[in-house]
Amino acid sequence: MTAEAHIPQEDLALYALQALSDEEAAVVRAHLKGCAVCRNEVAELSGDLALVALSVEEHPLPEGAHERLMAKIAADAKADGRDAAKPVVSIADAKPGRPVYSSIPWAAVAAMVVFAFALMMKIGDMHRELQQKSEQLAQQAAASLRAQRVLDVLTATSAQRVLLTAAKTKPAPSARAVYLASSGSLIFQANNLDPLPAGKAYELWVIPANGKAPMPAGMFQPDATGSASVILPPLPAGVPAKAFGVTMERAEGSDTPTAPILLAGSAAGE
Amino acid sequence: MSENPPNPSNPVKTAGRTQDRASGQRHETGATAAEDGVLLERVKANDQGAMAEFCSRYGSLVYSIALRVLKDTGQAEDLMQEIFLQVWRNPGAYEQGRGSLGAWLAVVARNRAVDLLRRRKPNDPMDEVVLVSNVNLASEVERTRMMEKVRLAMQGLPSEQQKSVELAFFEGMTHAEIAAKTGDPLGTVKTRIRTALMSLRKAVQA
Repeated sequence: MTAEAHIPQEDLALYALQALSDEEAAVVRAHLKGCAVCRNEVAELSGDLALVALSVEEHPLPEGAHERLMAKIAADAKADGRDAAKPVVSIADAKPGRPVYSSIPWAAVAAMVVFAFALMMKIGDMHRELQQKSEQLAQQAAASLRAQRVLDVLTATSAQRVLLTAAKTKPAPSARAVYLASSGSLIFQANNLDPLPAGKAYELWVIPANGKAPMPAGMFQPDATGSASVILPPLPAGVPAKAFGVTMERAEGSDTPTAPILLAGSAAGE
Repeated sequence: MSENPPNPSNPVKTAGRTQDRASGQRHETGATAAEDGVLLERVKANDQGAMAEFCSRYGSLVYSIALRVLKDTGQAEDLMQEIFLQVWRNPGAYEQGRGSLGAWLAVVARNRAVDLLRRRKPNDPMDEVVLVSNVNLASEVERTRMMEKVRLAMQGLPSEQQKSVELAFFEGMTHAEIAAKTGDPLGTVKTRIRTALMSLRKAVQA
């Protein structure tokens, strides 16, 4: 979402309603900073929201509510000194013969000026830093939003999963694994899997490149269309994979793969 | 509001003005709208009498919106007090030209009530609420008439649109929560809300 590509009116309406997720709202907020067109649109939509507010049934204030409110305001005014403002004595009003500045140590004044200047510089730095952090946060929020959308598509039960093959060829079971060894992150999606016998489940395996034993990476059951996915199973970080495999195991899982390997793929081939 | 035609080229500047020739209220409501600004100027000058008049004018509107969201008279009164105290402490939060003062207060009341309902920190300070609105709510007669008109317009919406808007506005639900509750796709919920708002805008401008 950039100033060039305006945010859809539907999303701006949700923003005005505060009905977006925090991440989505952060993206819109970042865009609005630099887009007067969308800011105006939000103001128009907020005007529409005021109309929705007017659809309420109007109730009179509870008995004594007005008096209680005014008592609070009076107390607030008193505490704040707003209803009995103290006379302000200016330097010009100071008694003659006793100039207020005569006893001021000039070295201290100079030090204070230097200190104030340094403070202003520091505040300026902090302000710039805060602005940078805000921009970083908005960028991270945008990245997070995109990642979330990817995950939503991959895991949505309503998503259409289509494997394109040569015409009139019966689709064979297939799967795709995306693995980031450095963080141990794995996303796996399978299609056209055969239904399982009762008490059985498919199990995904990561075959380490260092020759160690296969690591179990999650049990899964295909849905009615033969699709299944394993998203970010718990795996150790820093284990490069040589290959991936899928076997059929007991529903409770197994520590070692049971032959035959139903699906296999070499990492080198990816 | 047929008596109050919008001016799309500069809607903010038309805020609070009415042209009710039929009822002859143009002068009265125009004067009352002007009094909003005068009242605020007096509040800025620490005039508690002006604040009392201001609360009399808009107290029940703010309270009613808070009550509709919170469904608790005590909480609604507390929120009404909080909002007017904030106006008292910071009358500059509302600027002339930000649209009708009553409309601004209505949105601020709703936002704060939803924050309270969802037990979250306020999403945006009062002075960041900016809206374009040409409805004049300063006059009780005008306000009652406008509220009746809006209620009729809301009732005239398709039930799915009305439900989506009310869940978002009065229950403070996100579009994802509404989609989960109604079983409708996210895109459908978004479209319904936007369409409902556009319909309300047209109905009031008609």
